[in-house]
Amino acid sequence: MSAQHEIKSPWREPSPFSLVAAALLAFLTLLLLIYPAVVILIGSFRPGGGLISEGAGFTAENYIKIFRSGFGRFVVNSLVICIATTLVSTVLSIMAAYAFSRFNFRLKRPLFLSILFGQVFPWIVLINPLFVAFATVQLTNNYVGMILTYTAFTIPFSVYMLVGYLVTVPKSLDEAAIMDGASRWQVIWLIIWPIMLPGFVATATYTFLLCWTEYLFALAFLTQSDMKTLPLGLYQFFGDDTIDWGAVMAASVVTTLPVFVLFLPIQGQITSGRTAGALK
Amino acid sequence: MRDRLFLTAMLGPSLALLLLFYGYPILDNLRISFTDLSLLGLKRGGSWVGLDNYRELFQSGDFGDVLFNTVVWLTATSVAIRVLLGLAIAVLLNSSALKRLRLATISRFALLIPWATPPIVAVIIWRWLLDPHGDVNATLMRFGLVDQPIAFFADMRTVWPAVVTVMVWNTVPLIALSLLSSMQTVPEELYEAAELDGATRWQQFRHITLPFLMPNLLVLGLMSVFWSFNNFVYVWLATGAGPGTFTNVLATEVYLEAFVNFRVGYSSAIGLVMALVMGVFGIIYLRLVAQRQLEDTL
Repeated sequence: MSAQHEIKSPWREPSPFSLVAAALLAFLTLLLLIYPAVVILIGSFRPGGGLISEGAGFTAENYIKIFRSGFGRFVVNSLVICIATTLVSTVLSIMAAYAFSRFNFRLKRPLFLSILFGQVFPWIVLINPLFVAFATVQLTNNYVGMILTYTAFTIPFSVYMLVGYLVTVPKSLDEAAIMDGASRWQVIWLIIWPIMLPGFVATATYTFLLCWTEYLFALAFLTQSDMKTLPLGLYQFFGDDTIDWGAVMAASVVTTLPVFVLFLPIQGQITSGRTAGALK
Repeated sequence: MRDRLFLTAMLGPSLALLLLFYGYPILDNLRISFTDLSLLGLKRGGSWVGLDNYRELFQSGDFGDVLFNTVVWLTATSVAIRVLLGLAIAVLLNSSALKRLRLATISRFALLIPWATPPIVAVIIWRWLLDPHGDVNATLMRFGLVDQPIAFFADMRTVWPAVVTVMVWNTVPLIALSLLSSMQTVPEELYEAAELDGATRWQQFRHITLPFLMPNLLVLGLMSVFWSFNNFVYVWLATGAGPGTFTNVLATEVYLEAFVNFRVGYSSAIGLVMALVMGVFGIIYLRLVAQRQLEDTL
């Protein structure tokens, strides 16, 4: 981070004109990036979301209102589903990624390629058959159904990300430990796990965020109001003809804040993870 | 032998889950697309109708519109704007002028705000800003640019630009930050040498920076294409495919047919067409990117 503050070549000193132009452009960019989000944050503390006609003044009324109308239930549903998904998906992905990065086997390349392919396959196409199957085995409106679904759909990206991390740990480390009589499981627990912890945390966080903000599967599989997750609950405040903007904004803030807190520490790893192949 | 057992234990659960949630639905989607299965008669099942669904699909005029919306607006326009704007922001953030003004770091931080905003919330933010009573209309009216407030998401002339605005705002940061980190890997000596040879800023960008960014631009562009083409949530939440079906795209059409019109069979046929189009892009992706990633990592 600190290196980029320095002006690398003093003889490329920017002209006054380019300084002014850069300042203007930066101001415009910052305005467009920040202003929309800030409006919602401020509006969530205003009556009616800040509609001029409804007056000014700060109030927590919107937040009280959404939790009185059962928004807490959506938060709990999302927490249960997303925490379970994160645990199951990350553990399974670590296991698979370890196998891909450490072993050579016959179907390794086609299997890894199909996992990569899973990242780009349109989820919407899988909805119909999955809905039919879920309806048959009664997994709709069901925590287990959602956890299995989200686990399956976060595995491809997690495996891809984790393999990227794991190949940076030399195989000789594993082999030395095995020569000394350690089992594969011990290698994973005692060697890989401690070294890779930051990578695992980043992957798990990403999985949690995907789950926390997922809308499509939730929309299709969760129809009972008491089973709905946050993203669905958020849109309950959009009525047919009227929108309760104050409630919508407060619910948006409640949905977004955990994302910010979790996202900031891992954002660097996501940019590099997504494009690792290209940056090499 | 022990390794083999271990390998099965490690890979088995993930692969089983992927088979259940990708493999099985892909095959079953194919089967359903040849039936007239209705959402109201799931227990009864559908009867075999052969290629009827596909015939209807290709004969209906609406499908052409849906395809056009998906390819031209949802994908091509939004990806082009996203990539160009992302490149412009990355250049700005990397410029010596911005570093001189000490604005580079705060700008990087500002990029994280739209990026971390969940798509569902991004739609809400812009529905508020672009509301007839919202800030954008208020500003336009104050400067006398319009007499009447514009209902951006309900007016056919503005609805697509409005949807694309939401998508670009939400996704341009990833492109900008990723390109910025690629730019910072360009060796400074290259610019110094070019400067000595009298190359202009544009020539330096064109012949040094851009070639360095190309591999990354390609990946980001392709991933954006997948991600936009497959996307359901922006159109669904911003417009509900409306006004009417004016902004209907493939993903919303699949959902509408199955869950609003209850025609699961017909919906699955559309899904299959969608998967095939993505399959073609998928092969390009595998050829250009994944193959190399695979050789690099495994």
